[in-house]
Amino acid sequence: MGRCEAIISGISELVPVLDAGGRRTLDFLAEAAALAVEDAGLSKDEIDGLLVTPPSEDTYFLWPSQVAECLQLTPAFMNMVELGGASAVAAVARAKLMVEAGICRHCLCLSGGVWDAQVFNTRANKTAVMSQAEIDYELPYGPMGFNSGYALIARRHMNQYGTTPEQLAKIAVDQRTNALANSQALFNTQPLTIQAVLNSKVIVDPLHLLEIVRPCSGAAAVVVSRSDEDCDWPHHPVNIPGFGEAYTHNSIPYAPELTLSPVKMASQRAFQMAGRSPRDIDLVSLYDCYTITVLISLEDAGFCPKGSGGRFVADTDLTYNGDLPCNTHGGQLSCGQASFAGGMSHVIEAVRQLRGEAGPRQVRKNRLALVNGNGGVMSTQSCLILGRK
Amino acid sequence: MDYRRTFWEKLKTGRLWLQYCPSCTRYVFYPRERCPYCWESDLDWQPLSGLGRVYSYTVVRVSALPEFQPPYVYALVDLDEGVRLATNIEDCPLDCIEVGMPVRLKTINREDHEALPVFVPL
Repeated sequence: MGRCEAIISGISELVPVLDAGGRRTLDFLAEAAALAVEDAGLSKDEIDGLLVTPPSEDTYFLWPSQVAECLQLTPAFMNMVELGGASAVAAVARAKLMVEAGICRHCLCLSGGVWDAQVFNTRANKTAVMSQAEIDYELPYGPMGFNSGYALIARRHMNQYGTTPEQLAKIAVDQRTNALANSQALFNTQPLTIQAVLNSKVIVDPLHLLEIVRPCSGAAAVVVSRSDEDCDWPHHPVNIPGFGEAYTHNSIPYAPELTLSPVKMASQRAFQMAGRSPRDIDLVSLYDCYTITVLISLEDAGFCPKGSGGRFVADTDLTYNGDLPCNTHGGQLSCGQASFAGGMSHVIEAVRQLRGEAGPRQVRKNRLALVNGNGGVMSTQSCLILGRK
Repeated sequence: MDYRRTFWEKLKTGRLWLQYCPSCTRYVFYPRERCPYCWESDLDWQPLSGLGRVYSYTVVRVSALPEFQPPYVYALVDLDEGVRLATNIEDCPLDCIEVGMPVRLKTINREDHEALPVFVPL
């Protein structure tokens, strides 16, 4: 028997909502699971691997076991992947490993969560996502969670390289143009202008409201399957020729540099595994909790030299019609961030594009995509190279 | 040794003391039992100059923590001894703060901290 290859056989993404209407994370996960397994043309009983990202409101304790019980799955392998925003992408990478190692045949990667306005901005909720070091040595100074972390990066990038607020705003504008062609996006009725972004409220200088992701509720799922020669999949299979990860810090004071992220090492590892380079990439799906996240990721993944990201995004059409289509679904900035499923949305959009199923926003060249998942404040990085088989 | 307690107690001297690793000759922040660089366990406490520069900063305009009234400056300061820490820049007009600006330590009484290290323009 030759070496087997893992492919993405099924995907699903629920329409993000601001009001969960009393539904729990498990309810969202179950719906996403059913849709993804159906998309792969499989039956529930064929799922023999399960990877889940953490819940947003339930206890983490034995979470994979809670999910398996709720869905009545009896996998041969399961685990929780907790790498913050990188969890969903990293789950797909781990599913590939397990399938190619012969541990399971169809691995379900599940992510999702519930956003509750009553909980989100409380002190307890803020400290719940902090390490003891952050509570001891950062909280006394009034950090605004991820907002202030990314603001520190943006400020430093502006100072070091002359990046402008207009250049950063352009990323949100192009992604909104993409979202206008996505009926599932949370914000898809009004186009954005650079001026509108800059006129939105400054939350943590230099970041404006429209450069900051909107939390919401939802779920998304991917099925990674063993590809056999005689298999007839309902959708065009997408393979995973490369992945790479890198980690340098948890909290931002301990990052080696603010303007150079572990995306560089993670993407290099992914490109090396795939035997490809940034020039081979037709579209990118980059984790976009903030505009600055996309700019740093474009630099570090090698699409432009370090420090020139501001000029690059200003001069490059990042829409689905453009030179480097980026977050063609609108990204989290326009679709919302459904907890850990926000990172899965980047995988799913890349798969839609590679399958040729992206409808009005279908890109012309769709052979190869780079997907990045980012967790913490440019902390945990997981990159996938996805290909149209 | 309760290193978290030692860190705050020593600040009451008006100076910032950090752990120092004689083995790899580096200061260690945040406090912990073992040097993160060489994994040596014998760390000393040493006083620092209290001098540094603003590495980056943000002006918080919207605060979700009621005890912090915006606007205020949340910053990273690079100490002369090669340590970076999160802090506030105080006693400085918001439009005068710059990346690279030299600053010095000041300890203040805030909430449950008798001596909280913040930084002010040099």
